[in-house]
Amino acid sequence: MEHIVKIQTLRWLGKDIFAIEFFLPKINPSPGQFFQVRTGDSYDPFLNRPISIAAYNRGKCLLVIKIRGRGTRLLSEKRPGEELIIYGPFGKGIEKIEDRKAIIIAGGIGVAPLFFLAQHLYKYGIDFTFLYGTKRKEELVLKGNIIRISREAIFVTEMGSRKRATVVSALREINLSDYRIGYACGPKEMLKELKSLSLPFPVYAFCEDFLGCGCGLCLGCAIRYYGKYRRICEDGPVFELKGIEFEE
Amino acid sequence: MMVEIFGLKFKNPVFLASGVFGFGLKYPMVTASVGAFFTKGITLIPKNGNPPPRIYETHCGLINSVGLENPGVKEFTKSILPKIKKLNNRVFVNVAGFTFDEYPRIVAEIGERVTGFEINISCPNVKEGGVLFGQNPKSAKKIVKLVRRETKLPIIVKLTANFCDPLVIAEVCIEAGADGISLINTIYGMAFDPINKRPLIIGGLSGPAIKPFALYCVYRLRDLKAPIIGMGGVCSARDVYDFLLAGARAVGVGSIVLRDPYAPLKIIKELKEYYE
Repeated sequence: MEHIVKIQTLRWLGKDIFAIEFFLPKINPSPGQFFQVRTGDSYDPFLNRPISIAAYNRGKCLLVIKIRGRGTRLLSEKRPGEELIIYGPFGKGIEKIEDRKAIIIAGGIGVAPLFFLAQHLYKYGIDFTFLYGTKRKEELVLKGNIIRISREAIFVTEMGSRKRATVVSALREINLSDYRIGYACGPKEMLKELKSLSLPFPVYAFCEDFLGCGCGLCLGCAIRYYGKYRRICEDGPVFELKGIEFEE
Repeated sequence: MMVEIFGLKFKNPVFLASGVFGFGLKYPMVTASVGAFFTKGITLIPKNGNPPPRIYETHCGLINSVGLENPGVKEFTKSILPKIKKLNNRVFVNVAGFTFDEYPRIVAEIGERVTGFEINISCPNVKEGGVLFGQNPKSAKKIVKLVRRETKLPIIVKLTANFCDPLVIAEVCIEAGADGISLINTIYGMAFDPINKRPLIIGGLSGPAIKPFALYCVYRLRDLKAPIIGMGGVCSARDVYDFLLAGARAVGVGSIVLRDPYAPLKIIKELKEYYE
């Protein structure tokens, strides 16, 4: 579906990270689903940008975006009141929330879809820990919101702060036997390391990638999953981490 | 808006080009609206496609290296083709062979169930066959002859403009029995991974970046005694009009659907206004 929405607010949350809010009723998205967002009228950049839904409440939709290149920079230059062309929501999100003690593992801007998931877990009264790491302190966003809804929230940064850690190194200090399910989103390297830890519970990875169409047309976003190519945009973006075969 | 090509009527000259729109089932309204639908490349046996990355965005376009991922001709004919035909009766199957004899075998398997065939001798993303056949007049001729023996339906040959003169290949193909030509397929492109200092992707460049080149390739074939389906970077009714002016009888819409899956509907609507 194509939607033309009006940006209600655009505010900065951290270094190079901003949030766009708009009203789009009756879509009822699930955590992990995303929009293909048009960056502007120009054909340069040509493709839309896949952006995860970070919150959805009574028709109000929140996107949390990190500037990664020209496309996301153009999005950051939009102003409230401007129209935004978006397609979706696309992808298979987490449709059924499992009633099991969960650990959420977010790396960098991977926090966006997991924040949406956390709100669902909170709503259903499910106990969870939110572990969230970034490179720099200025990149930690939505901290207050995360603290408010999580039973336990752990923030780590790789550089600059007194407690230097990555989410993977932080995981080693947590008693993992408490958890029954994990949800992770972050850079490929992080997911690779997580997979190598062979955590004692199923972990669902929210995969990020460059997408062509975002809706299953172009077969551009292949990921090897249990020996077969799947499409991140349509079969995912949520996959069981165990089954993902990362390309070297 | 109706056009007549190969003695057949098409409701408009806007065709969905092979590849980017898959099998057209996700956006049925769009598939139904176009003059003809060209399927993704179909191979004799199922193909998994290339490892990622398969897509790389460039200025005003993208490089793809999907590598003809498809379920193979048997599965396609059995379970996908009937669904496409329910949406649009004008279906051309894009036939992609890795050897000479695979082309007629694919065509034979499909038989008379379609409007015609688009013989793909221009895919830049496979190691064997594909573009190598399309750069060589002798191979092109041989493939067209083999396919011609197998079918009476219209044969369109999809040409490349990679390191060869499409006019030379087009003339050979028509002489060998092809009914029409479609061009251009994507043009070679690549991008580097600056950290590992090695190629990140080598594939086919498409999108508005290649439109002026595609337009010239079509114009170069303007005196050919066979209909041309022009394509390459078409994004608007104005682009369609340009290709028609250059000598195309119909125009394929491709990469723009990645940006806007409804683009063909909008182009057709806009074109109608041009005609009125």
